[in-house]
Amino acid sequence: MVVGNRRRQLAVAVAASAALGLAACSGGGGGDGDSVEITFLTQTGGTGPEWAEALIEAFNEEHPEITVTLNTQPGGTEGDNLVKTKLATGEMEDVFTYNSGSLFQAINPDQNLVPLTDEEWADTLIESMVAVVSTDNGIYGAPTGASQAGGILYNIPIYEELGLEVPTSWDDFMANNQAIADAGHTPVIQTYGDTWTSQLFVLGDFANVAAQDPDWAEEYTSNNRRYVDQPALQGFLNQQEVYEAGFFNENFASALFDDGVRMVATGEGAHYPILTGATSTIAQNFPDNLGDVGFFPLPAQDAADTRATIWLPNAAYIPSTTEGEELEAAKLFVAFINSPEGCRLQTEFNVPAGPFATSLCELPSDVPRATQDLQTWVDDELAGPALEFLSPIKGPNLENITVQVGSGISTAEEGAALYDDDVVKQAQQLGLEGW
Amino acid sequence: MRNRPREIVLGTVAILASVVVFIVPFVFIFLTAAKTPAEAAEFGFSLPTEWAIWDNLTTVLTVRNNLIVRAFVNSTVITVLSVALMVVLAAMVGYVLQRRRSRWNHVVNFFVLAGLIVPPAVVPTIWVMQGLGLFKTIPGMILIEATFGLSFCILLFRAFVSTIPKELDEAAWIDGAGPLRVFFSVVVPLLRPVMVTVVVVQAVNVFNDFTGPLYFLPGDDNATVQLTLYNFQSQTMSQWNLLFMDILLITIPPLVMYIFFNRQIVAGMTSGAVKG
Repeated sequence: MVVGNRRRQLAVAVAASAALGLAACSGGGGGDGDSVEITFLTQTGGTGPEWAEALIEAFNEEHPEITVTLNTQPGGTEGDNLVKTKLATGEMEDVFTYNSGSLFQAINPDQNLVPLTDEEWADTLIESMVAVVSTDNGIYGAPTGASQAGGILYNIPIYEELGLEVPTSWDDFMANNQAIADAGHTPVIQTYGDTWTSQLFVLGDFANVAAQDPDWAEEYTSNNRRYVDQPALQGFLNQQEVYEAGFFNENFASALFDDGVRMVATGEGAHYPILTGATSTIAQNFPDNLGDVGFFPLPAQDAADTRATIWLPNAAYIPSTTEGEELEAAKLFVAFINSPEGCRLQTEFNVPAGPFATSLCELPSDVPRATQDLQTWVDDELAGPALEFLSPIKGPNLENITVQVGSGISTAEEGAALYDDDVVKQAQQLGLEGW
Repeated sequence: MRNRPREIVLGTVAILASVVVFIVPFVFIFLTAAKTPAEAAEFGFSLPTEWAIWDNLTTVLTVRNNLIVRAFVNSTVITVLSVALMVVLAAMVGYVLQRRRSRWNHVVNFFVLAGLIVPPAVVPTIWVMQGLGLFKTIPGMILIEATFGLSFCILLFRAFVSTIPKELDEAAWIDGAGPLRVFFSVVVPLLRPVMVTVVVVQAVNVFNDFTGPLYFLPGDDNATVQLTLYNFQSQTMSQWNLLFMDILLITIPPLVMYIFFNRQIVAGMTSGAVKG
């Protein structure tokens, strides 16, 4: 391992000096010495590349002397490996976007990234955002979009037809489900064809857990809390209870995320526990129904504990292989992402699914109904970050376990015990104390 | 004559099975590629209510400054050159390995098998490429693809050369042909069936390779076709109609190849597969 690291540093140094040499050449050859070329890496999929192209164009109007080249790569597991490979071989682009939170911690920020604590925008980040893009040595990333929440998207016409109130406690929620089922509608949509969507009952409940036990995440990281115990067990229990009550859509085992979005948008189902990022799919596929979908957090047992669970946005980082003129240009570019023009582009290309993570950007007035609903929870300070932003521990098999619980194959207690076992290996790999 | 009815039944079953296995998915791809985003997200096996095939085609081709056109050029160059390299090198190595017995054979065989078994390591490979100045270049990618495919090709060629009578070589020797002349004028023409097999198998392999270009050929100028699929897909928002249109475009080259070389492919596979 030691040998590996040394070779890696060597490779990084070689690559860096090669880049410097090239830059010096082009500066001398051009004669003006002012033009700088930097590269920008973003993830493919959705509107990411379109946004990046517009961002670069706007940036060039302000800084004609800096040429930015766009590169794209896939996200997901492939993307994670690729980012680590590029950092290890010194081939990372001058500015790149990547997840915040536990994935950010996994790319070894202190060694691989340039700290940006002294930049002007660094003071404007909201507290929970600072926590997920910084280490003890400083802030490393600037947010590149709005946050989103994990909770329940609900169909407003069904609520109006039956005269229901938005529930804040679990019992109210189940009473609403019963009323919806009696009226002949599907109360709760589940889409286990895309297994990741099954985790929302557990992951989206975390702000409620933190409301009852503020130290839960920290204690979990040091192995003093478990999912088999309350309050965390409640997420699994809730999923089991809804399944046993028979409130799911008939094809829950095979339906896909896109089916779920269609059902909640067009009123085929009333509640869909999902990320509010789904509103961009509604905006693309069912623009007329965007106003029919609202949001409320997964209710806690006690209404006083109900909080919205927030997923923080990705961020833009600068790798430590970027130096000299390129580094200055890269810093200007990162700052531009959250400038007034940068904010405008963020909302133009992505339907904002939640509040921004910096005070530099403000939501426009015409955001979707679900985002407005979420905003009121955030404004009332009834919101907290998801567990993956507070603890590096996230077992790889949660989505399979929640499918088991949600299909009646395992009980909530069995599922929670399985998940506790699942995270042990990962915590040991991370070298956390107490595991 | 007695077997006629049974043959007809069997034939019909086979045709029906191939329709279900091959044609139905292809029709599904085609239909989805012709739909609007909302309709495509339903994944229904139905005719589109609104035909958007032309719109989808132009969107896919022009997205990100004609990224996909560029990707097709890159993929074609990489596929053609790396397969040519594999065929030439593997034919030579396979011939020598089969014909000339020496104590080096074991060593060479060991490395050929090692090439099949040992998985490629990404980061050290990149170090080597950086050292040679080949990282992020098309020639570098061609060499990597050729290296990954070479072992398999050598095994095929070696097996096939054993079916060519040694007397042919000897006759050429007696007529005064040198080693190169024997190989190129006598042996190579006889290798044609296995060459077609190698070309088809490796061309499809290289054309469909995803992880190779992902790690060894980053950068949008170097995009290959398989990487473009990710342009239309993400966790919460996917443009299924464009994705399927891209799949349709990417499926066409291998499909055309199979239609034209159908007979040679089958001949090559059966002739090379019998003897070890």
